[in-house]
Amino acid sequence: MSQINRITGGLVDRSRTMNFTFNGKSMQGYAGDTLASALLANGQVLVGRSFKYHRPRGILTDGSEEPNALVELRSGAAQEPNTRATVTELFDGLTAASQNHRGSLENDFMAITDLASPFLSAGFYYKTFMWPAAFWEKVYEPIIRKSAGLGRLSMQEDPDTYDKGFLHCDLLVIGAGPAGLSAALAAARSGARVILADEDFAPGGRLNSETYAVDGMSGTDWATQAVAELTSMDNVRLMTRTTVYGAYDHGIYGALERCTDHLPGAGGKPRQVLWRIYSKRAVLAAGATERPIAFGNNDRPGIMLASAVRTYVNRFGVAPGKRVAVLTNNDDGWRTAHDLVAKGIAVTAVIDTRNGPAPLEVAGARHIRGAGVVDTAGRRALSRITLTDGQMIDTDCLAVSGGWNPAVHLTCHQQGRPVWNEQISAFVPGNILPAGMVVAGAANGALSLGAALTAGRDAANAQLSDLGFTAPDTAAPTAEDEGFSCEPKWHIPSGKKRAWVDFQNDVTVKDIRLSHREGFKSVEHLKRYTTTGMATDQGKTSNMSALAIMSECTGKSIPETGTTIFRPPYTPVPIGALAGRSRGKDFRPYRLTPSHEWATRHGATFVEVGNWLRAQWFVKGNENGWRDSVDREVLNTRNSVGICDVTTLGKIDIQGKDAAEFLNKVYANAFAKLAVGRVRYGIMLREDGICYDDGTTARMSENHFVMTTTTANAVLVFRRMEFARQCLFPEMDVHLISTTDAWAQFAVAGPNARKLLSKIVDADSQDMSNEAFPFMACGEVTVCGGTPGRLFRISFSGELAYEIAVPARYGNSLIEALMKAGEEFGACPYGTEALGVMRIEKGHAAGNELDGRTTAHMLGMGGMVSKKKDSIGKILSQRPDMNRDDAERLVGFRPVDRSQKLIAGSHFLTKGDEATMANDQGWMTSVAWSPSLNHSVGLGFIKSGHTRMGEIVRAVSPVHNTEMDVEIVSAHFIDPEGERLRA
Amino acid sequence: MPDFTLISAPPLAGYNSSFGDIKLSAPKDLAIVSIALPLGGEDAAKAAITSAFGIDLPDTVGTSSPTKDGTASLMRLGADQAFVVFTSATPDAERQIAAKLNGTAYTTDQTDAWCSLEISGPGARRALERICPIDLHPDAFAVGAVARTVMEHMGAIIARTGDDSFLLLSASSSAKSFLHAVELSARNVI
Amino acid sequence: MIINHPLLGPRDVAEFIYLGDACLIDRPDWEADDAAEAFHEYGYLRDNIAGPMQELWYHEQGDRSWLVVTRDTLTHEITNVEMARDVARARGRSK
Repeated sequence: MSQINRITGGLVDRSRTMNFTFNGKSMQGYAGDTLASALLANGQVLVGRSFKYHRPRGILTDGSEEPNALVELRSGAAQEPNTRATVTELFDGLTAASQNHRGSLENDFMAITDLASPFLSAGFYYKTFMWPAAFWEKVYEPIIRKSAGLGRLSMQEDPDTYDKGFLHCDLLVIGAGPAGLSAALAAARSGARVILADEDFAPGGRLNSETYAVDGMSGTDWATQAVAELTSMDNVRLMTRTTVYGAYDHGIYGALERCTDHLPGAGGKPRQVLWRIYSKRAVLAAGATERPIAFGNNDRPGIMLASAVRTYVNRFGVAPGKRVAVLTNNDDGWRTAHDLVAKGIAVTAVIDTRNGPAPLEVAGARHIRGAGVVDTAGRRALSRITLTDGQMIDTDCLAVSGGWNPAVHLTCHQQGRPVWNEQISAFVPGNILPAGMVVAGAANGALSLGAALTAGRDAANAQLSDLGFTAPDTAAPTAEDEGFSCEPKWHIPSGKKRAWVDFQNDVTVKDIRLSHREGFKSVEHLKRYTTTGMATDQGKTSNMSALAIMSECTGKSIPETGTTIFRPPYTPVPIGALAGRSRGKDFRPYRLTPSHEWATRHGATFVEVGNWLRAQWFVKGNENGWRDSVDREVLNTRNSVGICDVTTLGKIDIQGKDAAEFLNKVYANAFAKLAVGRVRYGIMLREDGICYDDGTTARMSENHFVMTTTTANAVLVFRRMEFARQCLFPEMDVHLISTTDAWAQFAVAGPNARKLLSKIVDADSQDMSNEAFPFMACGEVTVCGGTPGRLFRISFSGELAYEIAVPARYGNSLIEALMKAGEEFGACPYGTEALGVMRIEKGHAAGNELDGRTTAHMLGMGGMVSKKKDSIGKILSQRPDMNRDDAERLVGFRPVDRSQKLIAGSHFLTKGDEATMANDQGWMTSVAWSPSLNHSVGLGFIKSGHTRMGEIVRAVSPVHNTEMDVEIVSAHFIDPEGERLRA
Repeated sequence: MPDFTLISAPPLAGYNSSFGDIKLSAPKDLAIVSIALPLGGEDAAKAAITSAFGIDLPDTVGTSSPTKDGTASLMRLGADQAFVVFTSATPDAERQIAAKLNGTAYTTDQTDAWCSLEISGPGARRALERICPIDLHPDAFAVGAVARTVMEHMGAIIARTGDDSFLLLSASSSAKSFLHAVELSARNVI
Repeated sequence: MIINHPLLGPRDVAEFIYLGDACLIDRPDWEADDAAEAFHEYGYLRDNIAGPMQELWYHEQGDRSWLVVTRDTLTHEITNVEMARDVARARGRSK
């Protein structure tokens, strides 16, 4: 059996045979085929099973609106479910399989579901699976999921890659049918930058499916010629296989280009590219979609839209049947019959639901007017139809034409609502359109070829003259202006026979009537109750009919009943394309510190801090687990010296005559009088008085400060400072620039820090003595023989400590030098864990304490908020309730039983109180094992904590199911007098 | 003779690669110094810039002018901010510029804050289309145009240095991610 | 969305950060008798505008300028974009 239904003609390349398989069966087609046309050529009419009732289904359409012919494409990890065979370009080696059946496609065990259909009407699940509630998740849902559904995922990682991109143009033309080509030609000739996008692989739209002439040549030849001209122009980008799926604000469109889907393999290139198109103007020329008519058993394989029948015959050279019947309510159906006869295919009958004369004669066919089809027969494919008067006609293909729906989808994406057009009995775009868009051709309700060609040109010219382009004075292409006459017919009463409206979600006329009877009358309720229009095809072939049937039920007109609007995407967009390249390690950018390479070589384990990778600890020798490493790093630092890369802290260079005054505004404490060569700790508040960030700022010269922020808040602090600079204090001379990445900065901490650094800092650049460079001093220095650097004597660990900075390019080299210089002291590198342990031991607040709820008063820094000057947050921080005596205050905690480990997040209770929220006294923010003290230490907030030193309270964590007695102590576990850091 | 010497190792130093008709390389010893124009002192700063570099600071934000000898260019990046981009191997770029401007403007060394890549060749624009939201058509982004924008979630500066060549700057800490983004773009379009 | 930056021309909204009502420029006088009340209003009370609204946007992935953007919250139509610093000056803010 090889292409038994292939006939002459069409746009396929018969010199290039393509081998493919369907359900394991080998078949052949030609280059230029879709999977659907190739299946039909091979006589494969049955292609799938329906969603709910497992009914046999065939190919209904020739385009992206296809509800039935969904297949699993390719195999293994590349397997892709729910691929529409009608838009799948055939390639050599393609493998496809039908979906949603158990056993073979021909003998689906689940077809038994169809027998149960009287029970499975709309709302069945809502009514049936009410009780017992526990059954829903465990029993009902798994069963329903197993029996209903679409294709299967491979459950493997997608082996393909995807990309994104940005395009810009003066005019975007959506659709390369007659209107689109005409628009693009006019625009291109004016010199404008044009993008022409079409979802098909062959531009031309319906021109490739019809037999009309344009400018005295065949429509296909005209399209080919237009494409050749457009391709030759530098100002045009013709994008085939590209679906413009969404219209967004201000002329932005989303488009999906399928780059390699038509090839056996992607060859290492992105399979699809998701484009963001910035257009100044757009012409929507998306054409129209033919709609079916509902009648009894209208879903049998072999029943097809009339326009699709023409496409398969004219474009693909495939006969969808040997004896075709036509059911129509308009003149298009007759043209289908005419085209079939012209190709030598027998037409048994043309059944027109209208009365009146036949628009044209179809040789050999019976002309039946004022009639309809009420039933069909044929087990896996159509064999016979029954007409309203009871007579039966043998046929293997019924072409159905119910009129055309303009493809208004993109006009709805920005609030637009289509309006009813009585003349063509369809919705057309309304007055509200996405900014910059005009609609031309069939998408605008101009359903004839001549009108589309003219409308396309006129739309482009009007758009471009707005942009200042001059259109060359060329005539619109001419074509016969075929008439279009249509009399609405949505469904044919078919007794008890089920008549399908939404093929993909198995919704029937009866379901819609039931929805109405049960009070779900608005379109939005109808959709949700019956699920009509909610499948992956978004109801392209069904929404209109469903609405019309509802309007019959309500007795109101269609526009009174409602309208159907559409959301992006026009056709499904794979998640992989939306993710683009952002997968795995490249999900987001990562930032490396200057010593990253060195740290990697020295046993560092890294932790993500924002986008940064920071060394968390360094494993040495045969240490067992992270605690060994962290304890060693802490003790080594406290007893001798340790080195930590602190480059990630935000650094902001602040300069200007008003820089000091500006700092007074953004910090709650005073900075204006900070001496040159000195550093000060500062605290920033939000305008509502809550603490926001803290850090140190160094005065390098009169008008030059260097601020550090926390790693996490670097970007946010900069943003807020720019807000203050530009919006609040616009007359201050102050300038900000980030230097976070410019400097490699290392903390050198411990009793031997000075000795170590004296070997690194050039002696002639800085006297390192405590007198010359005391605690909180700063200065420009040179290091290692002349490299410029900065030295700050600040301490997060509580030890004698410095931070030394050099241009980032020297960072990796500086850590080597520091380690070598520290060899004699046994210097070690330490990571963020040891850093955390030491700051908790020292009682320094960090992110856990500055959690967006705490005030300076709570942190014990209320006195720092200067009363004498204005600063952001100052006024609201003075609210009485934020300064209560019984407010939670930051203090230290240690377990009464020193062997116990404190739990962060525990809440405090006064001894004897019940563990209820009403008795809540505060909470534990940070805990650590202190290797210096050999017990667990914690920081936390507790009511009036500063007055409760020595009190024993309970720390309860219902989450961890723990409870222990803890003692309130000073937060400064180590060196409370600060003698070490001033040493 | 000091006991220790420091070796300069910028993140992309020495990088040089080709992808079809696209060339990618890291410029050597590119120094960047920011200039902030003092509020009320703009005219004096601009005059000092003109006498220091022999050209005016570009008036239009988003443009870059090369000095007559081609050794430096002035990028106007904001109402009160510009970058001087020039070649200097020594870590004293800011001092060099500050000395020229003689206190009329605020300067900050940005050399180490950025990594830089030059992308050139007929396919350069095609590659940049994949990551750069800016319209790079020569009519919209001519030689001398410069824009600060975002590429693959990373802040970036793009400057057109020739018909088919662009200078890209991005944060030095994420240099590897940035290089990956640009390399992948080139690979994806050849 | 596209914001037509007064200095840089049209830029994708992805380059910007949104803050909110441009009334945030009008920070009250800290020394006024009713400062607490005024800051409360400044910090917490906003109109929920359906229609054209002046908003603050920050060009973070750009020239770091704050902008006052007049945008219709119903249609996203943007009718005016100004440098916030100029707006702040015009509203009498200084140091």
